[in-house]
Amino acid sequence: AQEAPAAVGGVAGITQQFGQMGIGAQPAAAQQVPQRTQALNQLYPTDIMSQPFHVSELELPPPPIVLPPNTSVTASPTANCSAKYVRSTLNAVPTTHSLLKKTRLPFALVIQPYTSLHDVEDPVPVVPDQVISRCRRCRSYINPFVSFLDHGHRWRCNMCNLTNDVPQAFDWDAAAQRSVDRWTRPELNHAVVEFVAPQEYMVRPPQPLVYLFLFDVSYASVTNGLLATSARCILESLDRIPNADRRTRLGFMAVDSSLHYFKIPRDGQGSGDPTMLVVSDLDEPFLPTPDDLLVTLSECRENIENFLGKLQEMFQNTHNAGSCMGSALRAGHKLIAPVGGKITVLTSTLPNVGYGKLELREDKKLLGTSKESGLLQTGNSFYKSFAVECSKNQVSIDMFLFSSQYQDVASLSNLPRYTGGQTYFYPAWNAGRSEDAIKFAREFSDYLSSEIGLEAVLRVRATTGLRMNTFYGNFFNRSSDLCAFPAFPRDQSYVVEVAIDETIGKPFVCLQTAVLHTTCNGERRIRVMTLSLPTTNSVADVYASADQVAITTYFSHKAVERTLGNSLEAARDALQAKVVEFFQTYKKELAGGTIGGGGLQFPANLRGLPILFLGLIKHLGLRKSAQIPSDLRSAALCLLSTLPPPLLIQYIYPRLYSLHDMPDNAGLPDVATGEIVMPGPQNLNSAALVSYGLYLIDDGQTQFIWIGRDAVPQLVQDVFGLPDRTQLKQGKSSLPILENDMNERVRAVVEKSKDHRAKGVGSIVVPPLYIVREDGDPSLKLWAQTLLIEDRADQGVSLAQFIGIIREKVMQ
Amino acid sequence: MDYDALKEQWSEVEDRDGVRLSWNTFPSSRMEASRLVVPIGALYTPLKEKTDTPLLQYEPVTCKAPCRAVLNPFCNVDIRARLWICPFCLQRNSLPPHYKDITADAIPPELHPSSTTIEYGLSRPAPFPPIFLYVVDTCQEEDSLTALKDSLVASLSLLPPNALVGLITYGTMAQIHELGYTECAKSYVFRGSKDYSAKQVQEMLGLLAPGLRPNMQQQPGRPPQPSGPAARFLLPVQQCEFQLTNVLEQLQKDPWPVANDKRSLRCTGVALSVAVGLLETSFQNAGGRIMLFTGGPATEGPGLVVGPELREPIRSHHDIDRDNIKYYKKALKFYDNLAKRVSHNGHVVDIFAGCLDQVGLLEMKGLANSTGGHMILTDSFTSSMFKQSFMRVFDKDADDNLLMGFNASLEVLTTKELKVTGLIGHAVSMNKKSASVGETECGIGNTCSWKMCGIDPLASYGIYFEMASQGGPTQIQQGPQKGMVQFLTYYQHSSGQYHLRVTTVARMLSGPAGDPAIAQSFDQEAAAVLMSRIAVFKAEVDDGPDVLRWVDRMLIRLCSRFAEYRKDDPSSFRLEKNFTLYPQFMFHLRRSQFLQVFNNSPDETAFYRHVLNHEDVSNSLVMIQPTLDSYSFDHEGSQPVLLDSTSIQPAHILLLDTFFHILIFHGETMAEWRKAGYQDQEGYENFRTLLEQPKEDAKELIQDRFPLPRFIVCDAGGSQARFLLSKLNPSTTHTTGTYGGVSQSAQTIFTDDVSLQTFMDHLMKLAVSGTS
Ligand SMILES: [Zn+2]
Ligand SMILES: [Zn+2]
Repeated sequence: AQEAPAAVGGVAGITQQFGQMGIGAQPAAAQQVPQRTQALNQLYPTDIMSQPFHVSELELPPPPIVLPPNTSVTASPTANCSAKYVRSTLNAVPTTHSLLKKTRLPFALVIQPYTSLHDVEDPVPVVPDQVISRCRRCRSYINPFVSFLDHGHRWRCNMCNLTNDVPQAFDWDAAAQRSVDRWTRPELNHAVVEFVAPQEYMVRPPQPLVYLFLFDVSYASVTNGLLATSARCILESLDRIPNADRRTRLGFMAVDSSLHYFKIPRDGQGSGDPTMLVVSDLDEPFLPTPDDLLVTLSECRENIENFLGKLQEMFQNTHNAGSCMGSALRAGHKLIAPVGGKITVLTSTLPNVGYGKLELREDKKLLGTSKESGLLQTGNSFYKSFAVECSKNQVSIDMFLFSSQYQDVASLSNLPRYTGGQTYFYPAWNAGRSEDAIKFAREFSDYLSSEIGLEAVLRVRATTGLRMNTFYGNFFNRSSDLCAFPAFPRDQSYVVEVAIDETIGKPFVCLQTAVLHTTCNGERRIRVMTLSLPTTNSVADVYASADQVAITTYFSHKAVERTLGNSLEAARDALQAKVVEFFQTYKKELAGGTIGGGGLQFPANLRGLPILFLGLIKHLGLRKSAQIPSDLRSAALCLLSTLPPPLLIQYIYPRLYSLHDMPDNAGLPDVATGEIVMPGPQNLNSAALVSYGLYLIDDGQTQFIWIGRDAVPQLVQDVFGLPDRTQLKQGKSSLPILENDMNERVRAVVEKSKDHRAKGVGSIVVPPLYIVREDGDPSLKLWAQTLLIEDRADQGVSLAQFIGIIREKVMQ
Repeated sequence: MDYDALKEQWSEVEDRDGVRLSWNTFPSSRMEASRLVVPIGALYTPLKEKTDTPLLQYEPVTCKAPCRAVLNPFCNVDIRARLWICPFCLQRNSLPPHYKDITADAIPPELHPSSTTIEYGLSRPAPFPPIFLYVVDTCQEEDSLTALKDSLVASLSLLPPNALVGLITYGTMAQIHELGYTECAKSYVFRGSKDYSAKQVQEMLGLLAPGLRPNMQQQPGRPPQPSGPAARFLLPVQQCEFQLTNVLEQLQKDPWPVANDKRSLRCTGVALSVAVGLLETSFQNAGGRIMLFTGGPATEGPGLVVGPELREPIRSHHDIDRDNIKYYKKALKFYDNLAKRVSHNGHVVDIFAGCLDQVGLLEMKGLANSTGGHMILTDSFTSSMFKQSFMRVFDKDADDNLLMGFNASLEVLTTKELKVTGLIGHAVSMNKKSASVGETECGIGNTCSWKMCGIDPLASYGIYFEMASQGGPTQIQQGPQKGMVQFLTYYQHSSGQYHLRVTTVARMLSGPAGDPAIAQSFDQEAAAVLMSRIAVFKAEVDDGPDVLRWVDRMLIRLCSRFAEYRKDDPSSFRLEKNFTLYPQFMFHLRRSQFLQVFNNSPDETAFYRHVLNHEDVSNSLVMIQPTLDSYSFDHEGSQPVLLDSTSIQPAHILLLDTFFHILIFHGETMAEWRKAGYQDQEGYENFRTLLEQPKEDAKELIQDRFPLPRFIVCDAGGSQARFLLSKLNPSTTHTTGTYGGVSQSAQTIFTDDVSLQTFMDHLMKLAVSGTS
């Protein structure tokens, strides 16, 4: 079985074979596995040279988690955690640290607690009765993998083995005053549940949702339309902002070289007009008045609308080019710290006065040199120390950045990084371009509607012997195992590296992630995700059950960490060294020291690693280049360390669809599901692009429509409604809505490609669409081509070269 | 000439020139001058309203530099040669060409003998209309704040339509309202606890030119604002009245919470500093007033005068005496620095206090004193004393121009015999040296020129002189010799034009030592007021007892010098008519609130002294020695009576005028009858009339008075009567009463003060002993 399967039928053939082996099927319920053997996933070596990796393999699910029979107390198919929420890099866990070390693979969890912006789009079962049974010793939540003893009066913790009493109310429905069937309880049937928390889980009464908007009102933001657009967008999204408990509070500040506070009266009071209080003393920002700066949306709705309607006019004649955003943040922090909440910063200007003043430190000459990495690191320590202070006071910051000039995203992104926020970057945005205005308005509106959590902490507990070692993502690591999130977003994922401290004697281990948070409706809840994984003594098992997507996600975080802590070069080198190490290990430990003749052997489930690592090395955020403005890089690094796996993988290895020769059903709804059928994705190399073709390249953040130099007029006419290619508006654009089959299908594909829900993620991102002509604007073309990562380009190697290098090193 | 005729003459001169001199004949030597004891001084009211003389609408003819004396009736004009000789520097000047047609019968107005005071309307226009920047304390009870808001709104209609107005409000923080902004109410907020430098204030208000600010490059394609950035805060009242009225009407009590055991946080210092900074940048040397309306003491930031803890009392005279003062020196330094800046900039600070307690006037006094501002101390902004006094600030002349001048300077020129030694009044030195500047210093000296940012028709200044000559043979000159002084007052008239008021005073120089004309020329009233100003000036720096001793010593020496007596025989002591009242004035001065501070709060002392330094001779005399009138059935109308306890009689009504208080006192019987309601009964009309008379007269007195006096009606035995008793000469104290001799009905005053009689006895004894 060490032989690679015959390369029949190409990719389709391989997937078919995987399918036969049970790969790709839903994890089988415990009872359905007939006997407890070592029948974990088998190792399927393939030759990545003779059987090149195909992009469609990325859509395969991770190797199944093969648990011993009866590990869960119910036969529920959802007893183990879905990969949608938690993915382990290893779906078979080494029993010892030394074995893990031997595999050279990382052991880490990729946790994506939310898969949508709103609960209704992907609800999880809720335990509403506030009966929360937890282990007295390790504080784990009761879950499908515990075992009941003493006629069900006690339960044994699957993490630490302690025997706990089952609470009396566990089998009693207090509302209906009758006993309930324990086996129907959600927490015993579902690995992912949400507990409604009683009083003990609250340090204080649940806080209301608070949004404080910091508007940049300097010349740049007034003239590029940011102020008007954001004010209007908030105005139109007031109904979308979560406010079910009618406690949501909003505050507004305007920032140039001074701080502008706004007092908004309650509806029906006085003239209803806002009062502007300007503070220019930036040394120690203070609140100019104790009242009415943070107002309840429900009580001041009309006056908030009135204010937002006036905001643009208030600053339309500005000459001010200053931005004291650092001071404004301190002031904003002061304003909302007693409650906590979200500060939303909308700015087009480098903070150039007051606290956290930043310098125009980017020098084009530094790009591509060893000094470039310095630009990606923080320019002013204020941004980290202040972020930590915010975290303590339950204040989270989101940055919406719009500058057409250097804005120091590297420094500013620290604020979201440590406060559970996000950096959204719109380089050279201008409301005068309708594409820009629409993109931002849609994203910002979705952003406002997102049901974020508040005052949250995330903790991962695991079977004795396992220890959570390092955490990656946007939060503040408050203590060794606790991550603090003043606000909990719905569009990010986190990576937790797990250490094996002791030999694990059990056939399986459990890892339980709990997110204690306040919902935006004022309810205290705990989202619990329990993942069970089999253990093994064999390197082969570990390799056969390793998840290349999770592994890549882990190394994406590691690469960002290394870039920020060391340098771009070090990060790239480490990635390359790591992938080589996998092959060396595989050769040494599992392939008997050979690499498979003239090819390069690797397990089928990990075949994507070379291409994904190459994608990372050649990614905008990491690749060697003297052309990438550091702000673009920094923004990319933010995404590389926050995107949930489905989006991250696409960001690393974009999707390429051929549109001119789509199958007949592509771009049309599937008869069974109603979902738009997508054409098959293609590998990212220019050899795949024909000169008469029309393509969509989509990395999830940007979409390119590529028109070949020989595209026939009919195609151009159908899709764009133009007589010939040369009349196409290149660059940021949109597809016209035409009444013909081809246009409709192309639009459907382009639209479907953005469908976050189908990908199982929550995201506000609406990628802009660029029209690229193969024979048009060379810089635009070059940009699109950088996404064709299998090509040789700029200072990066081609996939063939990369595999050649790996092979060479493995042979040594 | 007899004394009454002289008095008449002095009064005419005062009406014409606004000048009263202590000595109306100048001694000819330094030695002789020193023997006069009371210095040669003038109490001068530069802008005394003159309706009879025309305003000259041309530039004055002046002597060559550096003299610059203005052509006046005392000049020797050679009409044929078209020359005039300057009496101050003796230089010859040619008359300007357009004076070629003058003859002995057709002389220009300034040469007319009655034009010893004349005013020129200069062609130089003021750079801006007058500026009024209101600085309003919002830490007040609702009723007080409401009353203040009403007064402020009402005042807008009293301002010239083109006057620039601005508003700063303060409490825990200071806010300057951007009245030029129309999108919504907008203000700039300053932290109350911070000492902002001038530059910081200007930077924070965006008053510096855009190019001067770091990172604030002017954006291309946008013209700079025409009237400067400060125009956002100070706008013509006709343009912003609506906006400003709105802001004022919506003004709320300071929103920050105040604990029960705390005072409101009130950052008066920061508010003033912002006000000064605003005007400093864009309106330097443009006439303007910063009008502070404060409802309590500064408790926050620079210039705080008492901490916010209620259990901590505000400093008293005793605390200051014992040096038990936590904030005093720092606050004083802060406000004095501010005063220096604001007077340098040419702006006025008025302080209106509406508070039962002290507000820190003592610390802030320099602001008003050195800028010619008003100080109005009232219990509340709801009081009519505040309301009416405030409105009086905006009094107008017949041409509807505000009765206030701005940015004034007073220069004194003297003929060579005289030198100016200083000025006491609301002004600062301009440090100008000239041949007229004396060697010694009295008041603000070492200069011949002073700046008074604010000046009004009543503002009077004490100006002191010394004789230059060492007593040697005088220069050969024709005719009787005169010493001359010329006062040149430049100021911005509220009409928007600069004016120059010229008063030229000439007095005979005495002959050889011992000229009796000198003694006859002694104006005891002017002298008393001039000496009072010196005494108060000294009291500001010296210990109280030292000042009293100085007053005594000067009085004794004056009496020794001018009284007739046989040595060591007090009974032989006689004073000439024009000296007789002087000792009384000094007696009352010694007892007055100006020098006896312990019965008043430091704020009151500051207030009283401020007013004394502003008023003319007759008003000042009322302050020093209040007037007392009696009403009874015995005589028609009022009758002046002695300021003595013997004047208190059961069947009399007294009307006391201390300038600051007007008090009607009903004798015991009068009070009983009134309480019984006789005045309302038929057949007692004469009683009703008697009750009404003092009220009518009081009304008359109040009418012209600024600030409005406190009006008190009281009865014998009532607690308010102490105001009267404290002013009376204690001729019948608890120590004298038992010895009889005075009417049994007279009021006994419980005091250890010496009576006037005792005082005079001592004086005579010491004067004749010749030891002092
Ligand atoms: Zn446990
Ligand atoms: Zn001269």
